[in-house]
Amino acid sequence: MEGDLRSFRVALVAGELINPGADGVDALAVIEQEGWGAMQLPAADYPDEVAAPLLDQVAEQAEEFARHGYTLALVGNRAGLEQALARYGLAVPPAIEPAADDQLRTFLAEVAAG
Amino acid sequence: MPGVAFVAHCLLNQNSKTDGGARCPGVYSPLVDELRERGWRIEQMPCPELAFTGLNRFWAVREQYDTTAFRRHCRKIAAAVTGAIEVHVARGDDVILVGIDGSPSMGVHVTSSDPARGGRPEWPDGAPELSPGSGIFLEELTAELAERGVTAPRAMGVSHQLPTHDPSQERAQLVALMEGGG
Repeated sequence: MEGDLRSFRVALVAGELINPGADGVDALAVIEQEGWGAMQLPAADYPDEVAAPLLDQVAEQAEEFARHGYTLALVGNRAGLEQALARYGLAVPPAIEPAADDQLRTFLAEVAAG
Repeated sequence: MPGVAFVAHCLLNQNSKTDGGARCPGVYSPLVDELRERGWRIEQMPCPELAFTGLNRFWAVREQYDTTAFRRHCRKIAAAVTGAIEVHVARGDDVILVGIDGSPSMGVHVTSSDPARGGRPEWPDGAPELSPGSGIFLEELTAELAERGVTAPRAMGVSHQLPTHDPSQERAQLVALMEGGG
């Protein structure tokens, strides 16, 4: 992968943490700073019938990363994700519900270190 | 809230790129930062190519992806994305779409095309393939939106894989799109 700068690390991230409120954890900023890619989970304000096909896509794409040995992590959650991952033979990756940016930073560093 | 931007998967995850295409470790920050600074909500679309042809896929042109099976796959993703767009349209949110110009799938105004390409992958580096038009996923998304009676969002394509890429111009184009142009 000459000239390719990918990190081989992908975080599945709750929509609310990609688009945080003023006082929320800014997961996307931390993920960017730590050199991870993000796969966005549908936010809780989407009804289940809208979220389900989006979750299915997340799970299918996570499977492709997993089978190529990419490191996965889960930041926040979305109802139905565990079942969607299971349909593709995946367990929930190391997970965190971060309360602060620094806590997330430490978690991502630990997962990246294996 | 200023609006909702449905963005190409790889803007938040460069790990999804074809080998050799990742410009940074993960998040392509220039445009993501611009959206966030202006308070836009970001919604990441699935990558049409990632699950279909995988991480070891070759660079390819529209004609190689233009199969019934790939269009069916794109339509399935388009239906999922349209469902989310409908939620925002029903709320009265301003919705824009940011694709990837030069992409056979995600191109908005520029795609890649070469009817002769196929077989053993030997072609001269720099062979002309960029051409006006949309990628296949964008076509299927537009069709899905039309079938549901949803007006297609204003759209632009990120230009970072075009030889004419100009970061400041790309940023200005996004600002214009957010402000109602494009």
